[in-house]
This record gives sequence, C-alpha cells and structure tokens, in this order.
Amino acid sequence: MKILVPIKRVVDPYAKVRPLADGSGIDLTGQNFAINPFDEIAVEEAARIKERDPSTQVTAISIGGPEVEDQLRKALAMGADESILVESTAEWDSPSVADELAAYLKDNPTDVVIMGKQATDDDNNQVGQMLAAKLGWPQATFASKIELKPGEAVVTRETDTGEETLSLPLPAVITVDLRLNEPRYIALPGIIKARSKPLNKVAPKTSPRLRTCMTGVESPPSRQAGKRVGSVDELLAELKGRGVLNG
Amino acid sequence: MSTQTVSPPGASFFSATPARAFAPEDFAGDEKLMIDTAEQFSRKEILPVAERLDHQEDGLMPSLVKQAGDLGFCGVDTSDKYGGLGLGKNVAARILEFLSLNGSFSVTFGVTSGISQVGLALFGSEDQKLKYLPALTSGQQIGAYALSEPNSGSDALSAQTKAIRQGNKWILNGTKMWISNAKWAEQFLVMAKIDGEKFSAFLVERDFPGVSIAREEHKMGLKGSSTARLVLENAEVPVENLLYLEGLGHHVAFNALNIGRFKLSSMSIGPAREALGVAATYALDRKQFGQSISDFGLIQKKFALGAALFYAAESMIYRTGAMIDDAFEQYAGTIDGNRKAAEEYALECSACKIFSTEAESWIVDEMLQVYGGYGFTEEFPIARIYRDARVSRIYEGTNEINRLFLSDRLRRKAKDGSASLTAAGDSFISELAGKAIGQVGADQASIGAASDLVLLAYAEQSARLRSARFGGIHEALYTAFIGYANAKAAESYQLVTGESVTLPAISKPDYAEIAKAVYSKRGPAV
Repeated sequence: MKILVPIKRVVDPYAKVRPLADGSGIDLTGQNFAINPFDEIAVEEAARIKERDPSTQVTAISIGGPEVEDQLRKALAMGADESILVESTAEWDSPSVADELAAYLKDNPTDVVIMGKQATDDDNNQVGQMLAAKLGWPQATFASKIELKPGEAVVTRETDTGEETLSLPLPAVITVDLRLNEPRYIALPGIIKARSKPLNKVAPKTSPRLRTCMTGVESPPSRQAGKRVGSVDELLAELKGRGVLNG
Repeated sequence: MSTQTVSPPGASFFSATPARAFAPEDFAGDEKLMIDTAEQFSRKEILPVAERLDHQEDGLMPSLVKQAGDLGFCGVDTSDKYGGLGLGKNVAARILEFLSLNGSFSVTFGVTSGISQVGLALFGSEDQKLKYLPALTSGQQIGAYALSEPNSGSDALSAQTKAIRQGNKWILNGTKMWISNAKWAEQFLVMAKIDGEKFSAFLVERDFPGVSIAREEHKMGLKGSSTARLVLENAEVPVENLLYLEGLGHHVAFNALNIGRFKLSSMSIGPAREALGVAATYALDRKQFGQSISDFGLIQKKFALGAALFYAAESMIYRTGAMIDDAFEQYAGTIDGNRKAAEEYALECSACKIFSTEAESWIVDEMLQVYGGYGFTEEFPIARIYRDARVSRIYEGTNEINRLFLSDRLRRKAKDGSASLTAAGDSFISELAGKAIGQVGADQASIGAASDLVLLAYAEQSARLRSARFGGIHEALYTAFIGYANAKAAESYQLVTGESVTLPAISKPDYAEIAKAVYSKRGPAV
C-alpha cells in the first residue's frame, strides 16, 4: 500500500497575526510555522496505518522553498518513509496545487492520498476535491475514521445530519477532519531516525496559473465591549429593549 | 551543535571579542522539533497537573518522568551506548529549559537526566556505565546526587561521611542532606571520605543494606519535588562501585557541578519564561481605570526589562553550551579528556548560573507584582512560580560561592597563562572590568563585585553579538539590557576601586515595543 500525504507549511495556527501596514498581506516577521494541523492529522493517520501494516510506504510531499524542509522533516519524524520537496518560490493557488499533485501521481503509482480537509491559513477546502476530479478518482471528505482494505477504503465522514460511511475503490483521495486522531508527541529517537530518511528535492512538473488575485488584507473590526448584567430578569429586559426578544 | 568546530578557550571573552557566537536561533531544524516536543509535553502533561504535583500525589511524578523517558528526554546528552541519544549538551539544555516550565518537575527531571548521570558518564568505568546508565536514560529509574551534609554545604570537602574497606565491600556511614529525588531514586551518586581522608565517589543503590531515606523536608517551594536526607548506617557497597579513583571524588563532584551549573542556568530561565507568559495573559485581561493594565508604562517597563534580562541570560547560556559541546568534541574520549572538557568553561558556567538565577528572581518577582493583590494568592500560578524560583540562587553552589570562585578563577587562569587580564574593552562594562580586575582586594565584597563585572561583561558581550546578527526587536532588548547592566557595573566598579564613574549616554529603551512583543508571544519577546 502506497500513501501520499500532501502537507502545507502554515503560520502557527495559534499565533495572532496582523496585516502588513500596506494591507498587501500578513506580517510574518518573527512568526513560527507549522504543518497545517489537518495535514498533521493526515500524517499521523498514515503513520498509524503503517504501524498496523509495516509494508505500507508513506510519502509526504509539499511545494515551497527550502524553509519547508522543517515541516517535511517533521513528517519523517512522525513516521513517513520519505519526503518530497517540490522546489518553488512562486505562489500556488488550489487548482495549481491540485495540478502539480496530479502530475506527481501520474508518474508515481499511489493507492491513496490522505490530506487535511483544508489549511488553517486560507481555509479554502479545495485541493483534495480538485485533485480527485482531475484524476477521476473517488473522494471522501471530512474523514473521521479510515479503514483500508485491499483495493478498498471504508471512510466514515461527518455530515450535518450525522455520520456517513462510504466505501471507495482505490486509488482514492481522502481528506481528514479533526476527530480522526490526535497526533502523538514526536519522540526524540524518531527525530534522529528521520535524519537518515530521504528528503528528495524535485522541480515542479507544472507551472502555477493563478485564477484569483488577492487584493488586500485587513483586520476584522474590533469587537464592541460587552455589557455585564446582574440577573436573568435584567438580561431579558436588556434583550427586549434592544428588540432581540419580543414581548 | 555549534557552527564552529573549535571554540575560543575558556575565559577568553574577557580579553577578546569573537567574530560570532552561537545564539539560540542557531539550533538546527530538527533540534527545534525536539525543543517543540519538550514544550508541548510541558504544556499538555505537566502544567495542568502542577497543583497535584505540589500535593505529592502518589506515583504522579515518577509516571511523568517515565513518560519523558519514553519520549527520549532522559538521556539526551548521554551516549547512545548507554541508551541515551548521544546529542550535545547545548540542545539538551535547551530541551531542559522547556521541560522546566514547572519547577518541581524541572528539579526532579534535571537531577535524574543531568547531575546524577554526568559524573558517571564522564568518570565511570565501562562496566559501571553499562550497569547504571540505561535505567536512567530510559526513565525506568530515577537518580540522585548526594554531596551536601548537615554540617558541610558550601564547604563540600569537609564532608564527614566515611567509607571503610571491608573485604570486597565499602562500609559507608554518614548522613547526606538536601537529596533531591530521595523519595523516588533507585541510585545515588554519593560522596564519602575513604578512611575519613580520601574524598571519593560511590554508586549506591537504594536497596543496598544500611541505606535508608529520612522524612521529607517541608520546603518553601518545589513542593512537588522530593527532598530528604539519605542515611547511611553501615551501608554495604560492593567494592567495584567506587566511581573513578580513591581520593579523586572531587573531580567527579565538581565537574558534575560545572555541567550542573550550566544546566541549572537553563532550568532557571524555564520558569522565568513561564512567568512572563502567564503575567502577560493576566495583564492583557486585567482592566483598571477603563483600560487594560498592559498599556500602562510602568507595567510595560516590567515586561520589557524582564524580557531583556531573559534575552541576556539566554544569549550567554547557549553561547556557553555550544563551546562546551566543542570542548567535548575536541577532548572527550578518555577520562582526562572528559575532565578537561567539563572544566574548560567552568568560569562561564558560574557566570551563567549567577546571572540566570538572578534574572529569574527579578522576573518572577516583578511578574508577581503585575498581578497586584491577586499575585499574593494561590488563585493564580504566579505564587507557585515565585516560591519555586527562590532556591535557584542557593543550590548548585550558592551564588556567593560562585562569586568567590569566578573572578578568582580568572586571575588564576591569568597567572598560569591560559587567560589574559587585559580586557577586550569592547563595551563600557568591559572597560570597567579591565580597570577593576587588577585592583581586587582580599575581602569578599571586593572579590564578589569583581565577579559581577566579569559576568556582566560576558552577558553584555553575548547579548551584543546576538542582537547585532538579528536586529529589530533584538536591538531593542539589547538597549534595554545595557541600561540596566551599565548601572550595575558602575556600582560594582565603585565597590572594587572606590572610584565613581559616569554612565555613558545610551538611547532610550523602547519599553512599549518590547512589552508588545512579550504580549503577542505570551512569553519572552523573541
């Protein structure tokens, strides 16, 4: 079984970010970066699958500059067998990333792609779906449970009305949600072991073609201070006074 | 691992400015990953149970140590031959800093992963190392270090614990005091005098006949750690458990302490890091006079100076660690080489110990002040952090003992030609230190003040080398730091020489900018 886990380097999801003074983007000075948390769950899932079936081969892949090596090394330390850095300093939007991943998969037979449902920096929730469409592969999104069998993936996904279980023939694309697993601590011996695992650098097979253009970033308006009320009666009166409640 | 292969010799900072020094920013990508794992482990597993640890909940602390061992933390800088990871002391110290956000865990872990292993690792025979180290590096056992006695603290060599050879056994008698980890430790590194004369080191297992542990001390802080006396009543120790040579126990004890002082420096800035973080969160939330107290100038000044002291401490600690790693790479292998490596930067280790523990004290005290009356209650974590920090200036050699050692060591090194007393003169502090060092009197006040000048020169140079490389907020931190350090240096200079000195003009530190960085990071500004 061959698993591909695409990962994205994102600004620390718990950091407070500010727009640059000219609004042309986010001020990244002094910020820390991490694997997109949803992608980290995908790496963890692949590592667990590999623990159950040691013949599994897990490859992590990312597009970006040399700085992304930190995240790819982390994927190796978590249990991936090899990492691939598609070297590019260009800007890539979702369809472009899907194009590049599709090109990789055409040359590198893979049974299943497991990836985060979205990245915490742009919240697009697009690449997995676009990739499946480009390849003509089945897809299961927002997975909260994954079971791989020969030629088949059984995926439980969360919907607004409850849980839904899908059976997909392989190869397939699966995007994962928060409840799938909780990534473990990365043990130090694993980090040292990762030093000898391959991190291959390759040139992109496609060129990004941006369909959208970001024109500006601004902070959300600051929240108005709340009002503290002393009792339920006071709360009801306040709500009625503001026309939120009738009567 | 440092970027240079051969570091300048010990104490050379005093007379020369290196082109570059290792900074915390220089840890490699996967070392940062290890450090991240340490921080996550602290925040998710240790800090949430701080109160339960303080109540000495049964089995909780040993289980955390085991968990840390499973992750590979308990033997970072011990050779992989003995179950460690075989990494450098510098990255081990950085990991330790992040495992030290809670003081009780810090001292427990610091002792078992550090001072209880280092004597054995540097001076033990192959058999001894294979027998005792793997249990410690894996976290399966907890270790302890036993030097102090009821009547011999700072004057360690006056120890009264006796060892007498009887057939194939050593018979030990005496009481060892302030033994961290006593309650949990399975193995103790014990100092005793053979025939009451020859100061020597022994490996003592808890289960050896005649070994017992007295009741827990009631401490002011670090309540979650264990501290008790180790009582040896005709304790029977196999003859092969003498560590190193008869009468050379001071090599073991003091070199373990050199490295111990270096490690304690990172253990003391861990809680300072946490104090800055929790107080920043409080200051941002607390409103008075209709605004957040984080916007008040005097509150910002506390955060700014705290972050500046932290910055200087951090700069000197990891600069020192990189040099220690280089020394081990250069000399280690034989016991003599190990000793040379552990001794080379003894002066720097003392400087780090004094400066970092006093920076910690300043920071936890002023961060408690940020809380106002709430800081004086147990409702917030700052009271515990404050209590836990107090002992840092006492153990691993009191700061007074370290002050007597420091400038004396520099002058001795100058005498034997391994250092120069001609100051680099690369800063106001260095100039003062250079002028004062030739005029040190015989009284302790004068020796101590000279040591302050030397250690401030080291702190200033380390912070300057780092800030020049990274700019921005680093420059602001450096400026805030020298405002404080120059005044201290001038005072010390006057104590040594009797001459007053005018402080140089410096640009006004931007306290607000630094405070903002502390608020946004919820911790030190960089």
